Amino acid sequence: MKIKTLIKVTGRLTAIITLALLAGWIAFVPSAKEAGYSFVTSWGSKGDGDGQFNDPVGIALSDDEIFVSDARNSRIQVFDYDGNYRRSFGAKGDAPGHLGRPMNLAISGDKLYVPDYFNDRIEIFTLTGKYIKSIGRAGKEPGEFNAPDGIAVAKNGDLFVTDFYNKRLQQLGADGHFIRQWGTTGETGILAGQFNYPTDVALGPNGKIFVADGYNDRIQVFTSDGQFSHKWGGPFALNISGPFNGWFRTVSSIDVSNDGKVFATDFYNHRIQAFRSDGTFLFSMGGPGKGGGQFTYPLGIAVAKDGTIFIVDYGNNRIQKWQQH
Amino acid sequence: MKIILKTALASMLMLFSTMGTFAEPLTYALKVDGLACPFCTFGIEKQLGKINGVDKLSTDLDSGVVLMTMKNGVLLDKTKAEQAVEQAGFTLRGFDKIKTPSPKTNEK
Repeated sequence: MKIKTLIKVTGRLTAIITLALLAGWIAFVPSAKEAGYSFVTSWGSKGDGDGQFNDPVGIALSDDEIFVSDARNSRIQVFDYDGNYRRSFGAKGDAPGHLGRPMNLAISGDKLYVPDYFNDRIEIFTLTGKYIKSIGRAGKEPGEFNAPDGIAVAKNGDLFVTDFYNKRLQQLGADGHFIRQWGTTGETGILAGQFNYPTDVALGPNGKIFVADGYNDRIQVFTSDGQFSHKWGGPFALNISGPFNGWFRTVSSIDVSNDGKVFATDFYNHRIQAFRSDGTFLFSMGGPGKGGGQFTYPLGIAVAKDGTIFIVDYGNNRIQKWQQH
Repeated sequence: MKIILKTALASMLMLFSTMGTFAEPLTYALKVDGLACPFCTFGIEKQLGKINGVDKLSTDLDSGVVLMTMKNGVLLDKTKAEQAVEQAGFTLRGFDKIKTPSPKTNEK
């Protein structure tokens, strides 16, 4: 009798757990909605020669060139869209125009914007590599930085900067004057509008602000007037990480295509994930490894006007190019 | 006379040997848990690089060890290293003086 009861209870428990897991899977693990991309080519290896990298981090695109922050070499390298080396600029140091650790980049018009993690400032260059000016300095006051690592530039010239150790996103005018911030300076939070070491920021076609909330394993979206809009990444986007579709294990960079698709590098899952701007999961690309189309800690991402994607494959010291099927 | 010469020679040898030890740059291996992404390693290197007398910094991501080579004759204070690691958001788990830096690292 007791054994029968035990079997009954165990059976019911198993059924309940199975149902709960199934419901959780259906609710929190979406399936692919679109065909993905195909690997085209890659270039780069470890070193300090032309076309080599030592910890590449960020990437940005002009109409016909690719700019890569070669962080540990303290320089920016420039390639054409096929990966042919063109030039490099920047020198190690903290003097104006010198670089410590250049991070996730942005291009607006004829200017390159470089967040410098070591020197706590944004450095601005022409696309030919001529230094223009720096914005910001070390600190936690408005307009100051503690390891800036991502940047986006609005049409009116405003700068949106992720401020890693200050755990906030700042909006500055083109001349560097403080406009506003999201997140509480230096404080970690998992609720809407709070951050846990943000890593990058991108602007959508409609002016919405997409933030890679790195160690909260999620993406947060704000309207152009600064209001929180929505978030996604794992159950309820509350810092729950995992390997499933739509979940992250550290979002390390983000970009938005012309048609509004959001692409994010999923660092510890060694893949790229694509979403609609409302957070609907579309597809993922890659997986761990050193082969073509595989990643070892993907870091920077940039989407070209025609939809081609360029990804910084940090651990393999190379750049990968992917195109739509 | 012989005793004086021997004493002088011994003193000079001791002096040179002490100078040699001090002139040789010292390398320290700092064990830090959770070091994997560049945001973490750059953060730690940034803070440790602010300590006076640091010559070279490198990180082995696989083992989570930061190697700090000091300038000639400079010793690394453990408390300062602990504070720098904490400032970067981590905890120092090990602090050892070593002779030869591992070749499998990323140099500053």
